[in-house]
Amino acid sequence: MRESAPGIALRAAVIALVLAWSAAPVFLVVLSSFKPTPEIFVYPPALVFAPTLEHYRTLFEKWPDFIWTLRNSAVIALSATLLMVFSSVLAGYVYSRYRGTALAGSAFFMVAIRLLPPIVITLPLYPVADFLKLSDSYTLLIVLYATFFVSLGSMILKTFIDGIPDELDQAATIDGATELQVLWRIIVPLSAPGMVAASVFVFVYAWNEYLFAFIFTTTRAKTAPVVISEMMGSLTGVDWGLLFAAASVQLVPVVLFVVLVQKYLIAGLTSGSVKG
Amino acid sequence: MRKFGLSQFAMLAPAQGMLLLVIALPSLYVFWLSFTESSYGTSPVFVGWENYAAIWNDRYFWRALVNTLVVINIIVYGELVLAFVIALVFVKGVPFRRVLLAMVLTPYAISEVVAIVIWKFMLDPNVGSLAKAMLAVGLPEISWATNPVHGLGLVSVISIWLHLPFTFIIIYSAMLAVPKELYESAIVDGATRWQSFRFITLPGILPAVFVALIFRYIFAFRLFSEVWLLTAGGPARTTEVLSIYLYKQSFTYASFGKGAATGWVMVLVSGVFAAIYLRLLYRRGFQRDA
Repeated sequence: MRESAPGIALRAAVIALVLAWSAAPVFLVVLSSFKPTPEIFVYPPALVFAPTLEHYRTLFEKWPDFIWTLRNSAVIALSATLLMVFSSVLAGYVYSRYRGTALAGSAFFMVAIRLLPPIVITLPLYPVADFLKLSDSYTLLIVLYATFFVSLGSMILKTFIDGIPDELDQAATIDGATELQVLWRIIVPLSAPGMVAASVFVFVYAWNEYLFAFIFTTTRAKTAPVVISEMMGSLTGVDWGLLFAAASVQLVPVVLFVVLVQKYLIAGLTSGSVKG
Repeated sequence: MRKFGLSQFAMLAPAQGMLLLVIALPSLYVFWLSFTESSYGTSPVFVGWENYAAIWNDRYFWRALVNTLVVINIIVYGELVLAFVIALVFVKGVPFRRVLLAMVLTPYAISEVVAIVIWKFMLDPNVGSLAKAMLAVGLPEISWATNPVHGLGLVSVISIWLHLPFTFIIIYSAMLAVPKELYESAIVDGATRWQSFRFITLPGILPAVFVALIFRYIFAFRLFSEVWLLTAGGPARTTEVLSIYLYKQSFTYASFGKGAATGWVMVLVSGVFAAIYLRLLYRRGFQRDA
């Protein structure tokens, strides 16, 4: 469509504003983490400077457990993703291939129950976790994170499995395959894109989550976001360079991941909320 | 279709089992707790409606409730308007679409903690670039730690920043899904640009927009980390929202009964939104699917 010059200028202005709003703040933090301390405070922020790694050095000297909490975050996020994908493929398969009133009811339960505010269950879980010796453990966070996303995962997987022709299942069954073989040989490989779509959400959530990590961990299972929040609070006269270094180490991997799997993210977002 | 049997039940067990054990049963236990009083190391004693009466008469509860309602409305509608404008620009076609899209989606990958770091730095009155830029054009300093309006305002901005990618994607996808032929025949029929927006785009995206809106209400209602990390409810408990109030009742003041009662108030309020949301989903063919 042809467009007037003011129209183009207006759209260009909106795009510039959108970038300044969404990406520039993140860019500023990563860039500033490489600036010598006095340069961080220069206004307007300089794009050209002599890069330094001093803040990263201070980070690992002053907060030696930061690297450890990053490892915790990685182990917890990956395990939660595995647990969620495993449960979701099984559930998604059943919801895709079977029908029944009880089944519809259980699907409804699945979608409805995840709408409860997570903070409500912290109160009863606190003593239970203590009793089961699960407070401050990987297991507790892994299960919590997987649970809050298993509904979305199952619905995403159901949508993807719906797209695999049932004739494939039937042909394999006639050839003598058991249902588990059908699942493993046909459904699992063909629904791989769905698994990626489901993984994006739970991984990003588990890597970044603050509320549960803050309430249920103290030392052993502490995650990176909790430590960064401590750095923010415990420093008298905030050491911004140090904070930026820590924030960059935490955010860069997950931002890259989201950029790489962008199209799955978009597919999952629409199918997981608007389509149920 | 095939018959549902024991092995299908077993396949559903991991997912349904987790939801039941981690969310459903604890929520019911909270319901019981809300009629009892207990603290660290004491067992629950039945007190009837006392906890509900106590929070009903607590002005901090009402303040938290009002704060929550005001803030989530600002967040949800702020997101909606911004997402709408950005989607309109994107749907017309933008250069480097994939790159631009990735940049718009960036905040989705950022944790609440890092978002707070970013915004605190940008608005720091001594060192922040945004604070200095605002000062230069005559805007006031944002004193989130001392001024509750500024505190909750900044919480809303940060929350919009974090969740705009979600709302944007929903609206953008809905706009893309409107059939191109409708616009073409509208042009043939001599419709103005405003008319084709008003009579084709808007009705086409409205159902998706409405579902997204309710969905965001449900999730915005959970608001905790942004407030906790920015103001922790202060100064003088003026910026508390319901989840902060619940946290403080339960873990700071160690009154599990009042915390549980607050929890059930939250369940009921989000239950109302959830009911609307689920009804909308059913109308859109959820029933046919599952």
